[in-house]
Amino acid sequence: MDNPANKQTIDRVNKGLSRRYRAERRFRIFGASAILLALSFLVLLFSSIFSTGYKAFQQTFIQIDIFFDPAEFTRENLSTANFPGLIKSSLSVMFPEVTSRGDRKDLYYLISPGASFQLMDVLKENTALIGTTRKIWVPANDDVDMLYKGNIDRTRPESERRINDNQLTWLDKLSAEGRVKKRFNSSFFTSGDSREPELAGIWGATRGSFYTLLITLSLSFPMGVAAAVYLEEFAPKNRWTDIIEVNINNLAAVPSIVYGLLGLAVFINFFGIPRSTPLVGGLVLTMMTLPIIIIASRASLKSVPPSIREAALGIGASKMQMVAHHVLPLALPGMLTGTIIGMAHALGETAPLLMIGMVAFIVDVPHGITDAATVLPVQIFLWSDSPERAFMERTSAAIMVLLAFLFLMNAAAVFLRKRFEIKW
Amino acid sequence: MKKKNILLAAALLTSVCSYSSGQAAGRDTISIVGSSTVYPFSTVAAEQFGRGTSFKTPKIESTGTGGGFKLFCSGVGVDSPDISNASRAIKKSEFDTCQTNGVKDIVEVKIGYDGIVLANAKKSAPMQVSRKDIFLALAKNVPDPKGGEKLVANPYKTWKEVNPALPATKIEVLGPPPTSGTRDAFVELAMEAGAKTFSFIHDMEKKDKDKYKATTQMVREDGAYVEAGENDNLIVQKLEANPTAFGIFGFSFLDQNADKIQGSIVENESPNFDNIAAGKYPVSRPLFFYVKKAHVGEIPGIKEFVDEFTSEKAWGNDGYLADKGMIPMSKDERTTLLKDIKELKPMAAPAK
Amino acid sequence: MESFLEVTDTVYLSLHQKDTILPDTKGKTLHKERETVGKPFVENPRMTCREVNVYYGEKRAINDVSIDIAHNEVIAMIGPSGCGKSTFLRCLNRMNDTVEGCRVTGDIRLDGMDIHDKSVDVVPLRARIGMVFQKPNPFPKSIFDNIAYGPKIHGLAQNKSELNEIVETSLHKAGLWNEVKDRLQQPGTGLSGGQQQRLCIARAIAVSPEVILMDEPCSALDPIATAKIEELIAELCEQYSIVIVTHSMQQAARVSQRTAYFHLGDLIEVGRTDRVFTNPSHQLTEDYITGRFG
Repeated sequence: MDNPANKQTIDRVNKGLSRRYRAERRFRIFGASAILLALSFLVLLFSSIFSTGYKAFQQTFIQIDIFFDPAEFTRENLSTANFPGLIKSSLSVMFPEVTSRGDRKDLYYLISPGASFQLMDVLKENTALIGTTRKIWVPANDDVDMLYKGNIDRTRPESERRINDNQLTWLDKLSAEGRVKKRFNSSFFTSGDSREPELAGIWGATRGSFYTLLITLSLSFPMGVAAAVYLEEFAPKNRWTDIIEVNINNLAAVPSIVYGLLGLAVFINFFGIPRSTPLVGGLVLTMMTLPIIIIASRASLKSVPPSIREAALGIGASKMQMVAHHVLPLALPGMLTGTIIGMAHALGETAPLLMIGMVAFIVDVPHGITDAATVLPVQIFLWSDSPERAFMERTSAAIMVLLAFLFLMNAAAVFLRKRFEIKW
Repeated sequence: MKKKNILLAAALLTSVCSYSSGQAAGRDTISIVGSSTVYPFSTVAAEQFGRGTSFKTPKIESTGTGGGFKLFCSGVGVDSPDISNASRAIKKSEFDTCQTNGVKDIVEVKIGYDGIVLANAKKSAPMQVSRKDIFLALAKNVPDPKGGEKLVANPYKTWKEVNPALPATKIEVLGPPPTSGTRDAFVELAMEAGAKTFSFIHDMEKKDKDKYKATTQMVREDGAYVEAGENDNLIVQKLEANPTAFGIFGFSFLDQNADKIQGSIVENESPNFDNIAAGKYPVSRPLFFYVKKAHVGEIPGIKEFVDEFTSEKAWGNDGYLADKGMIPMSKDERTTLLKDIKELKPMAAPAK
Repeated sequence: MESFLEVTDTVYLSLHQKDTILPDTKGKTLHKERETVGKPFVENPRMTCREVNVYYGEKRAINDVSIDIAHNEVIAMIGPSGCGKSTFLRCLNRMNDTVEGCRVTGDIRLDGMDIHDKSVDVVPLRARIGMVFQKPNPFPKSIFDNIAYGPKIHGLAQNKSELNEIVETSLHKAGLWNEVKDRLQQPGTGLSGGQQQRLCIARAIAVSPEVILMDEPCSALDPIATAKIEELIAELCEQYSIVIVTHSMQQAARVSQRTAYFHLGDLIEVGRTDRVFTNPSHQLTEDYITGRFG
């Protein structure tokens, strides 16, 4: 310290010190504000989705008195019997004052067209009901539902709402009798698509997604891991493997629609796999996720310390034994994480499916990999483009379900990594 | 675990192979492709058909009219669709492609009309326009405002400049991209018709077809017309946020959102159900679907589906398609058409 | 190569015989390329290496090294960093095969068998020539599984009890049994560094090798753990031939009977450890052990 040269150095260091700290503080503020900004957008997004979406989990039901006339309904004719007529006649009995043809049409409009199918199911399950009168809750039409959820403003002039004054009067009468209530919308989780919002559900799309991802997972995981192991552990390092590596990295960045076009040309036009099926969808998504899984798996193989490889080889393990007994178990958590992220990617994909006919209106819930099916994000896309207002909240609700699945998958990735990660 | 996966994959691959060989056996679901405008109506009919009969619910892809014909005309067999929806009549070129690919007999089914509306938010005043105004406001090149037969790049910034009777708000129209059938129909029914009110453009049709087409169909690209994507709900939302803007979309969206937006009155006719059905509202177009006759009998249910679609409870005045916003044809027109449809009479080659 | 074999036949040298310093190296001449002073060859060797060259791509890392390894001896390989001693060590069990771009020429024999011969499988070879690495590298498995892995893959145990016996004997030999007998199922990675290294030695012993190669086994350990390993090496040489690469000349002096000095890929001098450290024949060896460079 006594040395003047030393003193000079220290002075200089001190002078620069505050500048250095300032730079650090600035960087921290930038970083924190970037994260804050991202978070606030996320909150905005989620709150806008949740605030509209949660309503879709409830559905307005109307209770009507139904007399299963034995003259009309017998055990034998249940599939062909006139159930729509049954609802109409029941409503006429409840509202005897409605006589004109136009008014009746308006009255019948209050009840969902799906109600007749519900009655059919009720009667098929319990034929003893024939000849009795029952109070049955049936789903209301989507416009009625919107009215009770406050999405239709009853103070507007009649011409501007989809529920006219007469219908409002009848509904008010029903409400006064306690015949209108909101219940949990179970059909949203159990039925397929429909053009009637109150009947539309995500079960068909969920199953479609499940079958599609099943194919994708069962093809892309073993293939991706095998390819990664071969490239990383066995393949000679030469120009060919370099070219392959560059190509795999490129493939991971190819827009997904390109895989759709490829799938259309190869799987549908050449191999003749039927359009719109989870099978062809799964194959296309396999092509899309394979590079992701291969890259993640290779990175995870690279991170296995070479000392473990040497230890195994030094003891006389063959290369295959070294890989299978030591390297793979250590690399597996990373591979699984990569795979799940790839799967989550595939779950949210619509563009490649457009080309292979999975962006379609499909009512029947698929029961196998060769049934026509659609997937969750496609369902969201289709609903978002539907004119009926009730589809808006269903769109948000479907997004919530998709987000829940994505969240679960990513949580599974974190769990698997924590659970199987081996530390030393 | 890995072994299990490999086994599973092997099993899948074999099932793929065996499936593709067994595929020739057929398909039991009707496959429908085509126009996104017809899609909301076609899907309702399909759902009713699926629930009301023992047949499976048809599968409907919204590919756009042109994309639908491309698939439809690719050939005959279970791999190709049975029905193609269209928001315009089939073109000669498309018909010819069908013929060369062996799709010989095609049954044309006209199902009703759709109106295209120019709408703005309910907060603002409704607008009364003519098709000429629409042409002048949205075409890329317009006749020189100073007069004469010269075409100049569209100079109009506000509606008032186009027509002194209109408000002095900025011209800002949100509409679908060129791939959309709605855009095609709008250009043809509103702009082209508006352009023809200038006699020299009308004469151009015979003299210089290309120039005529360019003049009447080019939409301006200087920001006054905003391509807002195919999602009409999005346009409705944007109109609410921007009261001076107008949007172009199908009548069914106006019908469902009557509390938020209003249709502009075109040539003294407001876009409502009755006016479109009566043919008074000028910007409306017919909707069709086309049936591949060779598939009738091969794929179960096609005939029955056509019957469902053309039944009075579907396409009639009070049918469920009208509930969804389709404008039905007149009773006479329906009766006339129904005769040919019942016979599944193949159409003749279109003129253009 | 023939000339070397002749030399082995004609020049009879025993380990216990005092080294005879070659006359022309009396004056501690400077090193001439590819010439080894001292006595690289022994009678009845376990391993013989003749004119071994190692190339990394174009670069030659080992120049014509010829040396024998006797039964039950500890031979230390010393030399400055990058002199090729580890590379040479890895030739002995063909670990260099796994290194991309590495090429080994020359003749290496284990009990007269050419280890590069086409008929020789590298897997059993590595079972006969075990290896212990610089950094303790137990498998991230239990202590038991670490030891049992080698016998399992080579099928050395017929049943569970035999396997248990192998594990116990190996741990005994490695002097680790008393420390770990109660926690055989705990992960081997949970042991201290010195214990881990002894576990690795036990793992190598478990497949009953003939030769154990040790690549700087104590460089990552503290002095107490080092002392234990050194003790262990002294015991193990009763049953195995041990080749140890080390940076520590004191360690070489403590544990080995013979010492080989490498310099820039050349084997400079081989001889009895006491002789090499007290009376090096070569100028480079002397410079190194007296600390003039290294």
